[in-house]
Amino acid sequence: MIKSFFSIYRPSYFSTIIYMLQSSEYDVIKYLSWYWTTQDFSKVRVRGNLKKTTAAKFLLFTSWALALFMILIGVRFIYLWTNHQLFGGWTFGLALILGYPIIIANLIVVPLFLARILLVSPSNNRKILKSEKIFKDFKGEKIAIVGSFGKTSMKELLVAVLGDYKKIAFTPGNKNVAISHANFALNLKGNEEILLIEYGEGAPKDVELFARITHPTRAIITGLAPAHLDKYKTLKAAGEDIFSVGNFLNEDKVYVNQESRDVVSFLKPKFNLYNRSGIGSWKVANIKNSLEGISFEMSNKKTTLKLSSHLVGRHHIGALVLVASLALELGLSEDQVVDGIKNTKPYEHRMQPYKLNGAIIIDDTYNGNIEGIKAGTELLSELDAKKKFYVTPGLVDQGKETKSVHEKMGELIAKSDADTVILMKNSVTHFIEDGLKKGGFDKKVIIEKNPLKFYKNLDQFVASGDIVMMQNDWPDQYK
Amino acid sequence: MSKNNIAVIFGSRSTEHDVSIITAVASIIKPLELSGEYNVIPVYIAKDGKWYSDESLKDINKYSNGKFQDHLSKLKPVSISFNSGLNIIKPGLKNKVINIDVVFPATHGTHGEDGELMAICEMAGVAYVGCNVSASSIAMDKVAAKQIAASSGIDIAKFIHFSKYEFSKDPTKYINEIKNNLNLPLFVKPSHLGSSIGISRVTSFDELQNAIEVSLHYDDKVLVEEGVNNLIEVTLPILGNEELTPALLEQPVLHSEDFFDFETKYLQGGKKGKNKGSSGSQGYSTIPAKLPKDLYSKAEATGLAVYRAIGCSGIARVDMLIDTKTNKVYFNEVNPLPGGLYSHNWNKAGINNVELVTRLIDLAIELYATKKSIETVFSTNYLSQFK
Repeated sequence: MIKSFFSIYRPSYFSTIIYMLQSSEYDVIKYLSWYWTTQDFSKVRVRGNLKKTTAAKFLLFTSWALALFMILIGVRFIYLWTNHQLFGGWTFGLALILGYPIIIANLIVVPLFLARILLVSPSNNRKILKSEKIFKDFKGEKIAIVGSFGKTSMKELLVAVLGDYKKIAFTPGNKNVAISHANFALNLKGNEEILLIEYGEGAPKDVELFARITHPTRAIITGLAPAHLDKYKTLKAAGEDIFSVGNFLNEDKVYVNQESRDVVSFLKPKFNLYNRSGIGSWKVANIKNSLEGISFEMSNKKTTLKLSSHLVGRHHIGALVLVASLALELGLSEDQVVDGIKNTKPYEHRMQPYKLNGAIIIDDTYNGNIEGIKAGTELLSELDAKKKFYVTPGLVDQGKETKSVHEKMGELIAKSDADTVILMKNSVTHFIEDGLKKGGFDKKVIIEKNPLKFYKNLDQFVASGDIVMMQNDWPDQYK
Repeated sequence: MSKNNIAVIFGSRSTEHDVSIITAVASIIKPLELSGEYNVIPVYIAKDGKWYSDESLKDINKYSNGKFQDHLSKLKPVSISFNSGLNIIKPGLKNKVINIDVVFPATHGTHGEDGELMAICEMAGVAYVGCNVSASSIAMDKVAAKQIAASSGIDIAKFIHFSKYEFSKDPTKYINEIKNNLNLPLFVKPSHLGSSIGISRVTSFDELQNAIEVSLHYDDKVLVEEGVNNLIEVTLPILGNEELTPALLEQPVLHSEDFFDFETKYLQGGKKGKNKGSSGSQGYSTIPAKLPKDLYSKAEATGLAVYRAIGCSGIARVDMLIDTKTNKVYFNEVNPLPGGLYSHNWNKAGINNVELVTRLIDLAIELYATKKSIETVFSTNYLSQFK
């Protein structure tokens, strides 16, 4: 307790709070809520470290300068109280000397807030307005990819299949907000045939704004699940925003993942629905699933495509079917589609299998939603292994649904056929445990207090023939 | 519930001192700590015989950064006491006494693996991992181990043995006895050392005397053994007290003219032979050994029989020699504390490092409970006659 309190006086304190700002992407509210729930600042930086950007260096220098200034002022007040009986001088001086770390940690957000209002926002708005015209004038296909999960995977799948035959451009990584779209538009070469634009829903009206600016010609809705409920509050509000993209398109140009159960109430008659059974007139049969990948046949009245992919898990079939049919619609030949699908492989940290000490680790640590958990637990139950391990810290940003989502998660894990469940200790662990009990799980549950240590030493916990499913990982700001 | 205190004792006055450090720190302390079930106390016996215990001794970098002796000089040696079990006493303004629940011996070779450390544990009345005093001392004496195995009907290669004293009195007698009774190639081995230290392969009788002198440099008892023809060398790690769990038969990848000397095992990553194996985690062995099913079963049964004959418990590794033409399996030697616990082999067999060490602790506690149930004292009137 005392050690925790004195951590605000450690030399590393200022770099820690700036790291917290950086990790919160300079979101003042997130930063302050993290700051005020942190007790020991010596234990904040577990997974990462401060990136010495210009902004970070400036803030670090300013913090130290302010600290020195406040200590000197504090000393001056005490001097004035001692020698000139300045009323309150001793109290105020001491408060400054002792309280400078807390004062600066809160004061530091003021210039950030002002800079955002006065400098960044106007500049961003100008770029966004400019990009709106570029998107509007673009004559090719503009495919919006939106949903609570699976957006980046869908985008990468489209790139893998279309990329060799069409001139495509896509928003990089998970850069999926208006300013990222604007920067993307401003850097287009002008010879592109297809644009893939990822929409990152974060708060109400986000998707509507992105659609208004980017003028999509098609939209893929990858699914709806509790995510960012800290802002949306309810799943219904998140769904309304996600499905608002449909208001900017003909209904038959919207493709929706039907396997996501919560999309049902938002569906419109002419939406194209895809799932592991097929899409439209395309039907799926002869599915084979292993750790090497999946294969299946996709047929309509005219033809049959034999497709195989290195992606792991049946839940990918729906997306593969959509991409294949879309690629055919966009002019690729059947052979090109088959080859393109053959080239698809697991993306980093998304159902990515690798070998460790003779065991298979399925790294799904970028999976942060209940639908992905369902896919992972289903896959684990389907695979043969000497011992099966399931590892997770739980999900973040589930808002009011936190309890119900994690209980549901526990129930799904209970059905995964895991021999050992390893839960990373945090605020949702007990909900998952409750779910495990409800699901009748009676095997070993380990509560790990030091996730990083566990991940780093995973080789010590596994042996040949074991399978470990690792779903989601929490950054430092979540507890 | 409070956690058990596990003392991992390693180092010691042995030629295998450095190997012991790796076994202790990497293969025992690390997984024990990761299990989260124990308080792990490292106890390091320096080459001068002083005992140390400090958290810093869990860090492998402390030993390998070239400043270990400086670090050690800053630590105060600990002492041990036998009050209510085994206690580690750390000196200070007020001595800190740590009562040990289980000892995990991690010493290789002399002054430890040979039973001396187990004898301390027996005297203190504390549970300990692995073979008991007699099994350890038999296992560490290749001559005694072979004699016991032979008496249990297990095949062994023909050998002659003698002490340093006997050989120095009349070397010609022993050289001639070897020439008359054993066929080349021969292996000359110190009777008590592990890690292949001091072993020579002799292909001509001219080399014999020198090879014997090398072995006698390391030990006061030597055996000279006939080489097995059409040789496949295999080793089998085994776990258990009464119910035994064999790992997988492991086959070193060697040319017929090579053998596992210290350098091959520990310094070259096992890459001395031209056929470099890739299956074993140490890169010099094939796991499981590529043997016909019947021969595999026979070798596994021989390994288990040796383990029982010697009276091993906890863990041990049995080395065997197979003549692939006659399908005969010869017991070669038994190692009561395999280097690194042979965790690479257990991993292949499906037992992970954390599970391996926790199972060994459980086996130690189980054996200790059995021992405690046996009465070792009883009342007599013997002293009353001396009134």
